[in-house]
Amino acid sequence: MSENESTPAAWRVVVVDDHAMFRSGVKHDIGGRVQLVGEGEDVPTAVAAILAAMPDVVLLDVHLPGGGGIEVIKQVTATEPGMKFLALSVSDAAEDVIGVIRAGARGYVTKSISADELVEAIGRVATGDAVFSPRLAGFVLDAFSGAIDVASIDEDLDRLSAREREVLRLIARGYAYKEIAKELFISIKTVETHVSSVLRKLQLSNRHQLTRWATDRKLV
Amino acid sequence: MSEEQVVRSTRPLSTAWIGGVCAGLADHLGWPVLLVRLAFVVVSAFALAGLWAYLVLWLAMPRTVAEPSAPGLEANSRAGMRSTSAVSFSGVDLGLATALALLGIGLTWMVQVSGWGLAPRVLAVGILTGGGLGMIWWQADHVSTREVVRGSGWQRLVAPLVRHWSSVVGILIGLVSLAAAVAVLVLGSGLDELGRTILLLGSSVAAIVLAVLPWIIRVRRTLAEARQEAMLADARADMAAHLHDSVLQTLALIQRQANDPKKVTALARRQERELRQWLYGDAPTGGSLVEALTAELLDVEDTHGVDVELVSVGDTELTPELAAVVRASREAMVNAAKHSGADRVDVFAEADEDLVSVFIRDRGKGFDLAEIDEDRMGVRASIVERVKRAGGRAIIRTAPGEGTEVRLELPR
Repeated sequence: MSENESTPAAWRVVVVDDHAMFRSGVKHDIGGRVQLVGEGEDVPTAVAAILAAMPDVVLLDVHLPGGGGIEVIKQVTATEPGMKFLALSVSDAAEDVIGVIRAGARGYVTKSISADELVEAIGRVATGDAVFSPRLAGFVLDAFSGAIDVASIDEDLDRLSAREREVLRLIARGYAYKEIAKELFISIKTVETHVSSVLRKLQLSNRHQLTRWATDRKLV
Repeated sequence: MSEEQVVRSTRPLSTAWIGGVCAGLADHLGWPVLLVRLAFVVVSAFALAGLWAYLVLWLAMPRTVAEPSAPGLEANSRAGMRSTSAVSFSGVDLGLATALALLGIGLTWMVQVSGWGLAPRVLAVGILTGGGLGMIWWQADHVSTREVVRGSGWQRLVAPLVRHWSSVVGILIGLVSLAAAVAVLVLGSGLDELGRTILLLGSSVAAIVLAVLPWIIRVRRTLAEARQEAMLADARADMAAHLHDSVLQTLALIQRQANDPKKVTALARRQERELRQWLYGDAPTGGSLVEALTAELLDVEDTHGVDVELVSVGDTELTPELAAVVRASREAMVNAAKHSGADRVDVFAEADEDLVSVFIRDRGKGFDLAEIDEDRMGVRASIVERVKRAGGRAIIRTAPGEGTEVRLELPR
C-alpha cells in the first residue's frame, strides 16, 4: 500500500454486515479506493475485527445478529471511544436509524447509495464530519418534533436552533453541503458545524452520556 | 390494519408502580401521572374510597398490549438483530413512592383521629383486603402469556403460578392477608355463633372469588388475543405470498430486459421499495398526504424511469386542498423527469402545525421562467394556478444550468 501513502483518501475501512453478498459487493465497488482492512458478520466478530484492525471508519449495518449495530458501537467505544462509525442499512425504521446515531454513529446512508457517494461519505466521516442523508435529516427533524415515538429518546431532547432546523430541512430537500452554504450565505465549514452540532445534541441527549460529558469536563 | 374503535384506557405495566391504573388513567386523560397517584392517595384517606376505586379499575382496565410492528422489525427483534432493550425501564421511584405512602398513612391517621374515619376494625379489614388482593392480582398480571396459552384446563391456571418461588410467596402473603381480613371481620362482628358461621362462609367465598377473578379474566383475554394473533398471521401469510409472487414477476422481467439497464434499475427499485415497505415500513395511513405523494412518485418513476426520493416530516389527512397540492407536485415531478435531464428528483414534504410544504427539486438543466411561459403552459396552469385556487402558493426557482426547485405551500 506504499503508493497510497501520498493520498490521504485511502482510508482504512472495516465492513460489518451479516450478508456476505453485500460485503463482497462493497469490496468490489470501493475496494480500489479505500483499504478494506477487515470484516465482521455479527457483533463478536465485528468487535474483534475492529479492535484488531483499528480502522479509520467502520461501515456498520444497523441490523446484526447479537444485538444489532448499536451493540457493536457500545462494545467498541468502551475501549476505543474515538472509533468512527458510518451506519449503512436497508431498514427504514426511524427508531433503529436514530438508535445507532444516538449510540455514536457519525452518519447514516442507505445501501442503495452509489459507490462514489459512499467513498465521499467515508472520507467525510474519517475527517470527523457527519454524514446526513436526506432520509436521516427527515428522521432527525421528526425525532426532534416528537413525531417519532422512540421511547429511548428523552423528553428533554435538546431543542434545535432555528439555523440547525433550516440546514436539516435543506439536506432533506436534497441539497448538498455546498448548495446549502450558497443558499444560506454561509461557508461550507459553518454548514458542517451546524450538522455536527445536531449530531451532538442527538447523542448527548442520552442522559447517561450527558453526565459522562459533564464529568469529563469537570462540570459536575 | 387499524379498525375504528373506542379508545379504551389500558394499564401499561412497564411504567406501573402497582397495577398501572394511575399510569393508564394519566395517559388516557393527558394528566401528569403524579397528580393521578396523589388523587388516589388523598381520596383513599376517606373511607378507603381511592383504594376501592383502584381495585375496581384494576379489574376493568385490560393490560396494555404492544402494537405489533412491521414483520421485518419483529423478525429482527426476535433474532436479536436490533436492540429493543435500549428502552429504559422507568421502574418505581422509591423516594416518591415512599413519600406518597407516608402521605396516605398520615392523611388516614388524621381523618381517623378527627373522628370522621371508619371504625378501626372496618379500616383493618379494608386495608388487609386491598393489600391481599393487590398481592394476588399483581402476580396475575406478571405471568408470562406463553405459559397460559400452552397449558390446558386447570394447568393453565396452576402451571404459571409455580414457575417461580417469588410468585408463590406473593400469593401466599396475599392469601394470609385475605384470611386475616376475614378473621378480623368475623371475630370482631359481635354476632352469635350462627351469624359468625354464615359471615365466615360468605366472606371466605367472596375473598376467593375476588382473588381468582383477574386470573379468569386474564386467561379469557389471552385466549382471545391468541385467536386474533392467528388471524393476523394468516393475513400476513397471504401478504407475504403476494409479495413473493411479485418478486418472482420482477425477477422474470429483469431477466427478459437484462440488456436495458435503465429498466432493470427501475424494476429493482420499485420491488425494493415494495418489500421494504412491508418489512420495515410504517405504511402511511390511508388517505394521508404522504401516502398520496408516494403513490404519485411511484407512478412517475414507472412511467418516466427516473429515481424519485421522498423524505417526509410529519403527515396529515388528505383534504381536497391538499389533493390539489399533490396533483401539482406530480406535475412538477413529471416536468423534472421529462425536461430537466436529471436522473434523480428529490421530494421533501413537511406537515407543520400551520403549514404544509412540498419541495420538488432536480439538479437538471433548468430553464428561464420568463421565456418558457408561452410555450409551456403546463407550469402556469397545472402547478401555480392549481395551488393558488386551493389557497396556497407555488414558487418556482430555476435558471438555465441551475436545476429547478418547485416549492408548494398550503396554510392549514
